[in-house]
Amino acid sequence: MLIQFTLNGRPVSVEAPAHLTLLTVLRDYFHLTGAKEGCSIGECGTCAVLVDGELVNSCLMLAPKVAARTVLTIEGVSPADGSLSDLQEAFIAYGAVQCGFCTPGMVLAGEALLAQTLTPTREQIRTALAGNLCRCTGYQQIVDAIAAAGAQRKEVN
Amino acid sequence: MVAMRQRGPWFDRLVDISAIPELREIVVRGDQIRLGACVTFARAAAHPQLRALTPMLAEACLSIGGPQIQNVGTVGGNVANAAACADTLPVLVALDAQAHIAGAAGERVLPVSELIIAPHHTALQQGELLTAFSFAAPPAGARSIFIKVGRRNAQAISRLSVAAIGHVDAAGLVDHVRLAVGAALPRPQRLTAVEALVHGQRPAPGLYALAGAQAVAVMLDITGRRWSTEYKEVALSQLAPYALARVLEDAPLPTRFDTP
Ligand SMILES: Cc1cc2nc3c(=O)[nH]c(=O)nc-3n(C[C@@H](O)[C@@H](O)[C@H](O)COP(=O)(O)OP(=O)(O)OC[C@H]3O[C@@H](n4cnc5c(N)ncnc54)[C@H](O)[C@@H]3O)c2cc1C
Ligand code: FES
Ligand code: FES
Repeated sequence: MLIQFTLNGRPVSVEAPAHLTLLTVLRDYFHLTGAKEGCSIGECGTCAVLVDGELVNSCLMLAPKVAARTVLTIEGVSPADGSLSDLQEAFIAYGAVQCGFCTPGMVLAGEALLAQTLTPTREQIRTALAGNLCRCTGYQQIVDAIAAAGAQRKEVN
Repeated sequence: MVAMRQRGPWFDRLVDISAIPELREIVVRGDQIRLGACVTFARAAAHPQLRALTPMLAEACLSIGGPQIQNVGTVGGNVANAAACADTLPVLVALDAQAHIAGAAGERVLPVSELIIAPHHTALQQGELLTAFSFAAPPAGARSIFIKVGRRNAQAISRLSVAAIGHVDAAGLVDHVRLAVGAALPRPQRLTAVEALVHGQRPAPGLYALAGAQAVAVMLDITGRRWSTEYKEVALSQLAPYALARVLEDAPLPTRFDTP
């Protein structure tokens, strides 16, 4: 089936069987391997992407569901020149990345939250990350990084 | 989706119903609410009127999985899937919600409590679709609550859940009370015996304790003793009184509404 949507700001179309997940199509058809298959049952958030700005687990969404919608993956978060976004920089600065497996999903969960408020409470950040598991960091650094990036964006605006 | 991934596609046709506008509507007319089956948990929880009229419904939606699940999962899917632990079920049953079902032969309406036959079994026939749930908001001034016990704060399946509605009249007596439990009974239902015990009484700790004991008695009557009973009878004997106290007294209700 032909699926047309906007991927990281660019209109794309792909011919793929209708029962494939968005995660499979992103990784195997578009070779965007930032989204990871950690669990495949919606528990871990390593496959998270933004669909029309909303955080979803791409392992639980069939690819045809994004037809005519916009999808943002971690590859689309950084500027075109290959540098890192302010939130990604904050993850590094605060030691929020260890093995990095959870990081794409964590950054996108952070972006989804910061789109709603630049001054989230720590509790709000924790709630926003509730569907993303990290085995390495203990989460505090991730919460710190998101809070810092929000504060920085607030200052810039 | 999880079942599909685990078993592989077993169908030859798959229909995406999530874009049908009528199934995504939330309509509030006076105290009558119609909630489309394809309304996501996130949209139900964020709806200002729904939040105001039935806080427990919004609370239940915000307790389901994490943000990713709430952005995609729907109330209709939660009901149709009919897990014993499904968090919208005790709430819809406490509200006496009616399920609207569309099929080739036309529309029919069934109380949610009758739609669910057993865990993962509904009265839906082949070719039938849940289109909406309709219910009246609790009476003006009534308070409602949804509480669940899980292993963690978020992304946790209910081990036990309680939905309660309560109102006390000018004389200080209970004139409206609803209590439903989730993850405790094979099919969700109101605990009418407990409601009858509380109705017309003056709220007090002794009354709540009696109600808790009665709730446990009803559960054991239906399920008998199972492997989980040892835990559930203790939990329910505390959770039911707690929920009743919260809706029949004035103290602020606990809430998950900290989302921006
Ligand atoms: C990580 C994770 C955590 C979760 N946590 C919770 C939790 O805490 N509490 C909880 O209650 N649930 C939880 N769930 C389960 C849950 O999200 C679902 O029950 C969800 O509501 C399904 O909705 P859906 O719209 O995605 O349905 P789908 O998965 O698309 O459908 C489920 C079933 O219902 C049928 N169906 C869907 N809509 C209709 C309709 N309108 N008419 C007829 N049939 C229909 C489908 O054909 C399918 O058989 C969790 C799930 C995951 C993956
Ligand atoms: S791989 Fe999608 S949530 Fe774990
Ligand atoms: S950094 Fe390793 S899982 Fe989060």
